[in-house]
Amino acid sequence: MAGTALAPGKVRVKTTSAMRGHRSRIALVNAVPVTVFLLVLFVYPIIGVLSLSLKGDNGAFTLHWYADALSGANLSVLVSTLRISAETAVLSLLVGFVLAHAIARMRPVFAALAMLIVVVPHFISALVRTYGWIIMLGEHGLINSLATSVHLPGAPYSLLYNETGVVIGTTSVMLPYTVLVLQGVMRGVDGRLLAAAAGFGASRFTIFTRIYLPLVAPGIGTAGLLSFILCLGYYITPALMGGDKQTVVAALIDQQVMKQDQWNSAAAFGVILLLLTFAGLGVLGLAKLRRKKTAARRSSS
Amino acid sequence: MEGNRIGRRTILRTAGALAAATAVTGCGTLMGSSESRGSGGGKKRLVVSNSGGAYNDALAKAIYEPFTKETGITVTTVNYQSAQVIAQVKQGRPQVDLMDNSLLVFQKMARLECLEAMDHDRLKSVKGAGIPEHQLPEHAVGKNVWCSLMAYRTDSLKRAPKSWGDFWNTHSFTGPRSLQSAEVDIPELEFALLADGVPLDKLYPLDVDRAFKSMSRIRGGVKKFWNTGALPAVLLGRKEVVATSLYGGRADELIKQGMPVAYQWNGARRLTNGWGIPKGADNTDAAYKLIDFSLRPEVQAAFAKLYPGGPVVPGAIKLLSEDVLAALPTSPQNLKIGFDADVAWWDKNRDAVTKRWQEWADA
Repeated sequence: MAGTALAPGKVRVKTTSAMRGHRSRIALVNAVPVTVFLLVLFVYPIIGVLSLSLKGDNGAFTLHWYADALSGANLSVLVSTLRISAETAVLSLLVGFVLAHAIARMRPVFAALAMLIVVVPHFISALVRTYGWIIMLGEHGLINSLATSVHLPGAPYSLLYNETGVVIGTTSVMLPYTVLVLQGVMRGVDGRLLAAAAGFGASRFTIFTRIYLPLVAPGIGTAGLLSFILCLGYYITPALMGGDKQTVVAALIDQQVMKQDQWNSAAAFGVILLLLTFAGLGVLGLAKLRRKKTAARRSSS
Repeated sequence: MEGNRIGRRTILRTAGALAAATAVTGCGTLMGSSESRGSGGGKKRLVVSNSGGAYNDALAKAIYEPFTKETGITVTTVNYQSAQVIAQVKQGRPQVDLMDNSLLVFQKMARLECLEAMDHDRLKSVKGAGIPEHQLPEHAVGKNVWCSLMAYRTDSLKRAPKSWGDFWNTHSFTGPRSLQSAEVDIPELEFALLADGVPLDKLYPLDVDRAFKSMSRIRGGVKKFWNTGALPAVLLGRKEVVATSLYGGRADELIKQGMPVAYQWNGARRLTNGWGIPKGADNTDAAYKLIDFSLRPEVQAAFAKLYPGGPVVPGAIKLLSEDVLAALPTSPQNLKIGFDADVAWWDKNRDAVTKRWQEWADA
């Protein structure tokens, strides 16, 4: 019952199969330019990158670049990239959830204003934004001056040129994405369900964990994975706000192509990042599948 | 679907450097043919690459514009990095007629056979001008000298550091430092060796083991290994560090803003920017004309007044005032206490040093 109430769209889809076939044929024609565009500008270069990554200096097939990428200092760069991405995903989910929850309950005018505040920093160049962070987080920055003036224990804190700095920076970059995704899901939550639960005497905590959270769970998954994946390829903020232990894969790729003329190794790193992205998408797909199955089981029982 | 769309975007971004470079090369082939060759046989147009920014502004004012006035050849500038030009040469045809880059890059491009040989006899300004030999390699010609040097805050340090030894001495000169990372240009192994007591004239070939040992000693005092040219000046200006290495000229900007900052010429590392002609470029007559023009003493002096790039032509030094000379790495005074980076050594060892640096940073 809950399933049909939540998905009114499903009812509308029930058109005649002939009409659907006609529509999909038109859709196919519409898709041709996009497909050609992607084949030429996306699939073809990707295949080129893949073949580059499997070519040795003499042009013969080799897995040397992958072995090199997955050993020594390169491996720890890969690991710290994954770690930073995971930390960013968790933090931007936490902050994004609170923010999106607040925005979803605001009056439209204020909600639009709040969204603007979240998104506007994105229009500023990443370089300028990062220099802004130095003014905020530096040893003599805003936060540390404030902390020392009120004699917080341990102040001034090292908020820059370490992992803390990187994660603060990347989280702020990913925040608009998580907020946008979460807010969309939260707006779709049927308030009557929450009211009904309250009417049956559920506590606010129970309503949140048993009703609200399951309803927005798909959004949480998407938003978290989204910021994780985006973060995997992000590069300016870790370079400018991190220390020498926060080198990320994208920075390594840049260096190999621009400085060392080492395209094969860079291609191998690119392919590894691509595979990690696919793995992330796979996890999300599996989760969706499982949710659908349990939903189907529930509605049939 | 949402996930898919984002996936594609991310992939594009992650494969970014590669995809972008491919795209640039692809578009470049289309555009370049109409751009540099559109004017027909007259060749009244020269496509020059440089690193842009204030450097480009000074070049335009001191060299390109007067050159156009004299010869009628217009100069179009592009901001290709050397990796892009190398890729273009390998694809068959470079999209630039003349490159303005560091002699270290030209050393590498010559090794990769991506440069035409430079016929120094074709350049009137070179003959008898007294340009040092290391600035006239087989495949390039030097134009202006830049440097990395030590700058510090006069309000934080009670005494002025006089040498890299002082810079390394974190007991007498307390406070966080910044040094260059291996991610930009070449790391400052020379400074580490000078700090460790190696004399100026015995630096090369660099003792890499000793340099890294010396680097390890100061590592705890380094807040950030800077990886963009603008960063050390920002760190110094915001008092994040009390001393740092930076590109010459960046400190002058801070001093002009009234910051309590000074810098030290002792142990400054010099690198030379110059001209190189990518292999396959077919506008060499105009290219040689511009090179020749840029090496006239008066043109060299005009550029030095606008940008802290030291002239390579000794004759230009005489045309400059004491004030201007004080900020130039090639003034007679500063020439003596600094050193020229050995580009041949660095080109041979750069990849190994970079790898070592990554391992060192990771440890």
